[in-house]
Amino acid sequence: MKAKLTVLALLVSSAVMANDIVPATKQSGAVFLNDATLHTVSNGVIEKGDLLLVDGKIAAIGADLSAPAGATVVELAGKHVYPGLIALGNQLGLLEIEAVRATDDTREVTETNPDVRAQIAYNADSEVIPVTRANGISYSLVYPGGSLLMGQSSLMQLDAWNWQDATVKAGVGLHVRWPSASTLSSPWNPQKPEDVAKENAKAEQALRDYLDQAKAYADAKAGGLVRNVDSRWEAMIPVFKGERPVYAHADDARQIKMALQYAKEYGFKLVIVGGSDAGDVANELALAKVPVIFTHPFGVPERDDEPVDYAYSTPAKLQAAGVLVALSLDGYWDTRNVVFGAGQAQAFGLTAEQALATVTLNAAKIVGMDKQLGSLEVGKAASVIVSDGDVLDYGSSKIRYMWIDGRAVDLNNRNKQLHDKYQQRYSR
Amino acid sequence: MKAFRLSLLCTAVLWAVAPVHADQTRPLQGIRDNSPQLYAIQGATVHTEPGKVISNATVLVEHGKITAVGENVEVPAGYQRIDAYGYDLYPGFIDAYSSYGLPKAAGPGRADGPVYQADRVGGNAANMAIRADKVWAREFTPDADGAKTLRQQGFTVVQSAQFDGIARGQAVVASTGDGLPGDLILNANGSQFMSFDPGSSTQSYPSSLMGSIALLRQNLADANWYRDARGKTDWRFFREAPEYNAALEALGKIQTQGGVFETSNERNLLRADALFDQFNLSNVALVGSGYEYARVDAVKAANRTVIVPVAYPGAPAVAKIEDMADVSLADLRHWERAPGNLASLEKAGVRFALTSYKLEKAEQFWPNVRKAVQYGLSKDAALAALTTVPAGLIGMQDRVGRIAPGYQADLVFSKGDVFKDGDIVATWTRGHVDQIKPLKVPAFAGSYPWDLSGTAATLELTGEGDKLSGKVKVGDKETDLGNVQQHRQNLSFTVALKDVNGRDGVLQFSGELVGAQLTGTLLQPDGSSARIALNRTGLAKADDKDEPAKVSFVSPLTYPNQAFGLASPAKRQNVHIKNATVWTSDKAGKLENTDVLVEDGKFVEIGKNLKTPSGFTVIDATGMHLTPGIIDEHSHIAIEAGVNEGSDAVTSEVAIGDVVLPDDINIYRGLAGGTTTAQLLHGSANPIGGQAQIIQLRWGVTPDELKFKGAPASIKFALGENVKQSNWGDNFTSRYPQSRVGVETSIREAFQAAKEYKAAWAAYNDLSSSEKKRVAPPRVDYRLQTLVEILDKKRFIHTHSYVASEILMLIHLADEVGFKVNTFTHILEGYKVADEMAKHGASASTFADWWAYKMEVQDAIPTNTCLMASRGVVVSINSDSPDLQRRLNQEAAKSMKYCDMSEEEALKLATINPAIQLKIDNKVGSITEGKQADFVLWSSNPLSVYAKAMQTWIDGTKYFDRAQDAVEATRVTSEKQRLVQKVLAASDDDKAGSGGVYKSAQPIWHCEDNGNFLKLAFGHQH
Repeated sequence: MKAKLTVLALLVSSAVMANDIVPATKQSGAVFLNDATLHTVSNGVIEKGDLLLVDGKIAAIGADLSAPAGATVVELAGKHVYPGLIALGNQLGLLEIEAVRATDDTREVTETNPDVRAQIAYNADSEVIPVTRANGISYSLVYPGGSLLMGQSSLMQLDAWNWQDATVKAGVGLHVRWPSASTLSSPWNPQKPEDVAKENAKAEQALRDYLDQAKAYADAKAGGLVRNVDSRWEAMIPVFKGERPVYAHADDARQIKMALQYAKEYGFKLVIVGGSDAGDVANELALAKVPVIFTHPFGVPERDDEPVDYAYSTPAKLQAAGVLVALSLDGYWDTRNVVFGAGQAQAFGLTAEQALATVTLNAAKIVGMDKQLGSLEVGKAASVIVSDGDVLDYGSSKIRYMWIDGRAVDLNNRNKQLHDKYQQRYSR
Repeated sequence: MKAFRLSLLCTAVLWAVAPVHADQTRPLQGIRDNSPQLYAIQGATVHTEPGKVISNATVLVEHGKITAVGENVEVPAGYQRIDAYGYDLYPGFIDAYSSYGLPKAAGPGRADGPVYQADRVGGNAANMAIRADKVWAREFTPDADGAKTLRQQGFTVVQSAQFDGIARGQAVVASTGDGLPGDLILNANGSQFMSFDPGSSTQSYPSSLMGSIALLRQNLADANWYRDARGKTDWRFFREAPEYNAALEALGKIQTQGGVFETSNERNLLRADALFDQFNLSNVALVGSGYEYARVDAVKAANRTVIVPVAYPGAPAVAKIEDMADVSLADLRHWERAPGNLASLEKAGVRFALTSYKLEKAEQFWPNVRKAVQYGLSKDAALAALTTVPAGLIGMQDRVGRIAPGYQADLVFSKGDVFKDGDIVATWTRGHVDQIKPLKVPAFAGSYPWDLSGTAATLELTGEGDKLSGKVKVGDKETDLGNVQQHRQNLSFTVALKDVNGRDGVLQFSGELVGAQLTGTLLQPDGSSARIALNRTGLAKADDKDEPAKVSFVSPLTYPNQAFGLASPAKRQNVHIKNATVWTSDKAGKLENTDVLVEDGKFVEIGKNLKTPSGFTVIDATGMHLTPGIIDEHSHIAIEAGVNEGSDAVTSEVAIGDVVLPDDINIYRGLAGGTTTAQLLHGSANPIGGQAQIIQLRWGVTPDELKFKGAPASIKFALGENVKQSNWGDNFTSRYPQSRVGVETSIREAFQAAKEYKAAWAAYNDLSSSEKKRVAPPRVDYRLQTLVEILDKKRFIHTHSYVASEILMLIHLADEVGFKVNTFTHILEGYKVADEMAKHGASASTFADWWAYKMEVQDAIPTNTCLMASRGVVVSINSDSPDLQRRLNQEAAKSMKYCDMSEEEALKLATINPAIQLKIDNKVGSITEGKQADFVLWSSNPLSVYAKAMQTWIDGTKYFDRAQDAVEATRVTSEKQRLVQKVLAASDDDKAGSGGVYKSAQPIWHCEDNGNFLKLAFGHQH
């Protein structure tokens, strides 16, 4: 079976907000990927390797397999096979057009929304999703934004009829916009450092109050003493049980250190999202076994005095210290570039395999899905992509095939449709 | 009001008399004050003017004027003699930048929504920030407390206006004496005060620094026009007679009355200088910011008097390790060097005056001046800066600023050298005496043996005046005196006995000093009293004040003076680049194993195995790739205080070139990504925005040196959501246009006005010279003049645009009106109308893959480059952000990914193609013999994500080197640590500062940033 792009048939009507690209059907027969360079992530690179996909799972991998009878053979000589890429920490599907409020479902009011769940607003028909997918991104961890206790993230697979089909794992993390710790104010609203510090202290106290209340609720509940449900604190019980990590959105070293202290004090698991300064506290993070979803692979230095390559080299610093690091481009439409962020991290110190892991296996580990996703291993999901060459570099990162759970995904998208439409204008 | 008269000879003690002030125009009330004012000040060390001192001199003062000064001046009979032996006498000090005697300025103007028009009252200006018609003498009200404070610092004359607005009105020159305003005003028509800060104005225009500059420029031109036009009788170029405009009339007087312009940093100082030069206004002085040392050579070259505040910034908060991250090296350096600013100005030969402006407390003035002296300012220069220089500024050099016959009797008495540790004890304003402290203070200090009820004790007194203190010693025990009070020769104090002899109770003493004997009453705890007499047996040792330690700086001064600044400018070199893969971006294509010779800033030879000419530096580029410097058609880096003049719909008069910011670290970061040239564009808030500026990313230079020499002029236009204010919020729904249909008419109307303007000037210029004497000329209008440049093909349009409809609209309008669209920038739907663009001759500069963030970018596609290029459009990739400017090579490479563009064509998206669009392709954009040597050495294939720019050169000069960058990064860290140590070791006074400010951080600008940016231009308090 070859996933043929039926471009012409799909050209019509592009003015709607819902895409017209049809989700793939369940895998019916075995698929044999023949003679490709296999980037397993977990087990090095297999030149001229073969990969067998059966019933949505990887059934076999090796250098010299033979295709089972009846399998669809895909000839991939010269091509490169990777696990489907995973982008952590963005708002894909929650936001269609940033400037149009009606299309924005990224955030709720109030500071206490641990009970809101990202996946239920995920628009599987978003035009942005197929465009993102076309760059090899197969999974995305989407989270609700906001302030302080923002809500629960969910891991989505990017080829689905609706959010229910798309959800791979719900309630992955409780996302917390960590109280600011810098004494600097915005150039737009200059304030004295001492006043900023006061505001920071107030925000930290608010967080502490909420955590205390939630903890009290969890304790009371455990003692059978809760009569009326508090939806907010109910949603935090898994956090205190260590079942749902706190994803602390924190960039400043002071915020990160504070989050580490809180994790210890309140007994929750922690993941850092953001991590501008994470390189400076890499040893502390490694010691506490706290992973980082680094959102600034192309970051501009936050401070005038920082070296120009400060952000570029942070993933390598984290890796060297033994921190589990994955990448994200926080946002939505730009998520398709996270793969090149990994390339940038390789340019500034990661090995090719380490760089690849930041958008595959490391990401799967952080969200607790590494038994199913993130590498080419027997028994894992048949979620793989095929590229003309090195997927992390611009000139060679051309995605020709994508399977998610063995389903052959249509790589057409709004960008391609418009391209093809206007090519017709010029060929007439 | 009080009048002061001198009483006893030699003692200079004053009393107040009934308030019968000389009132020249009011009928007599009560008894007149006709006390004679005839004084002979004798024995003082008289500093008659900077550099001239007469010891033991006599100064005669007659009714407010000095009549004689000299060593052997005979004192006429009937003069009151004042013994000033042991005192230093200085001419009264002058502060040429003050707001004394005037109501406090309102804070920054705030309005709920945009305000496009000012209310017109009388002859006021069309813009609320132009308050030139204010005559502050009319509102001058002496303020006894304020005057006293000024006199305590020795100020006798101030020039004063309210600090509010861009043109602030005519200042009043006044004496700081007490009295009626009419008597105190020395000149009712002083300098026009100015700044770039619109102050309390609520008008939307200007909302950016470049807008402020443009507004003042237009008004200065208008003032010239007004003077000219109002003097004429034939007004044929106007529908009516030229309006009455008091503001323009007042601005026209700067030429004769002078101006004083306040700056917020050294860059604004240089900008103001350039602006006034344009109008030949050499008599405008500039109020400094304290940052002049950072560009002192340029400040010197401005050749203007600088009025310098002596406020120093407080030390950045670095006590907590974690908070050190929030402090920049630049701020630490400024804290260290601010007290050395004046010394630096003196050394450079800049003419300067001092002002007490910006100090948190007036009392900080002298400690700060002395600190400046300690940091190397000479006392003569300091005295000149307080006397002769400001006297010249206020046009009164023949009346104030010296102690000489005929001058006002404005005098400052100091105990000791006022520039070292002196104490100002009296300030005279036109012969009126303000005796701050008595001239003659009885010397109590010394040891007085004391039989204290049978115990042998010693009373030790030290200091004098309000610093008098003492103790009682018994054996090795001692106790401080309590409640020490001294008034003239009288002294009282208490002694707690417990610490003297172990008894309970407190002794009370009250007595007087006569000669060397202290006599008075001693009251015992039990109520018994006795007269005692204590004889001084020894004088107390004078405090040996250590000479202040010599000042040295731990930080270097770099250009710019911040992290990664250069200690000296980068130098051009002749180089031989050996064995590189050369991407020429011209017809020669990509050349393997090739050498390039660079001489005098040009590529002189490209070939294989070239010989190294003598004196050339060899760069072994084996394994490396050489490309032309990257060129960015659309950038907003290096712009100070506002990218948009987002107020009026047409703002072609504002110019990015006026606000280029060479200190922007993003220049350095751009170099680190291989970028050498960028067009700095105005934002996209208006259909017709401001003038653009093409720069070369020469790190460490001045704004002028940053500008690309010989590049043609350009301008930003904009279409679509931003100009119709779609995403600006509910307050912005009134400006025309609010829709795409109005964008077209806005632009058409502006060009029609420009055509009529051009015709009017042509008609005027055709008049005979005799006609010109009668006919009022049209008004110079920089807004329209810029549009005329477009019509004359001297300025080229780069228009922000997205959707097909607006692209076609502008092409049609251009054809109709008669202009060309040079480049459509962003142009995300360019692929839909590529043929039309090609036919018009317009080029396209686009994003690689931005989309989805707003309605008008829904149809953006990453194959836009290929589709447009395939139809013959010259295409480039631009950054619009300092982030992408560091990796335009990667952005170009995306066309290889999305539409299989060849690698050489992809590189051209960021080299020769943008050069063509900017019309600088004859100079840069390719590695071609004869072109300017702008090039980048890459670690690998420049279109790969793995490529790093190792070196970036402009004009044969290396501005970035990755190896040196690593060294510098380490050096920055260690310098910062040394400065932090210095802060931690500093005294509380040095840490506290006195009102000086640090520069505002500049945000990263985006096209659509709108709002008021001016607060970024005027510093903020740390």
